[in-house]
Amino acid sequence: MVLLENDSFLTELTRLFQKCRTTGSVAITLKKYDGRTKPVPRKGHPESYEPADNKCLLRASDGKKKISTVVSLKHHVRKIGVGGWDMQIARLANVREHWLVGPILGSMYMNV
Amino acid sequence: MPYYQTWEEFARAAEKLYLTAPMKVRVVLKYRHCDGNLRIKVTDDAVCLQYKTDQAQDVKKIEKLHGKLMRLMVSKESGAMDTD
Repeated sequence: MVLLENDSFLTELTRLFQKCRTTGSVAITLKKYDGRTKPVPRKGHPESYEPADNKCLLRASDGKKKISTVVSLKHHVRKIGVGGWDMQIARLANVREHWLVGPILGSMYMNV
Repeated sequence: MPYYQTWEEFARAAEKLYLTAPMKVRVVLKYRHCDGNLRIKVTDDAVCLQYKTDQAQDVKKIEKLHGKLMRLMVSKESGAMDTD
């Protein structure tokens, strides 16, 4: 699992979407993250970590390649939200409509 | 787990689930361009809420919910706003 900066994560996410145009799926996971980097200690051992309250973890995968990033500021949330996955899907969805129109028109001509 | 039939019901249930258990809930989006569908799942590993669509106009609604949940996760509990 590759942990990236927000901008690199967006670049790699674009690549994942482009790779999965003909086959496969892209999965994006979002989860609240308290910033811990060490595992939770066993019972009886003191928890020496102060949990942070303002981060979330974004992961993306195409089944083979995995990438992730930590988002912690509101303006980063805007960047990821606006420039991120929904734009990729909107662009791909438009391309798919063209793909559907081609065969439908083709079959109409064949019937005539 | 069944898929919700209406977006409004799903969005309401998803936000409610997140607010009851913010540290446990995860949001999963799965897009298949070859099949032309997008699925969203919100779960706390006990309850699982799912919605799927093949309509391009639903992408905007899903994006808004996703952004809203991300903003909730990133905002501090004290309610202090980050100055951008």
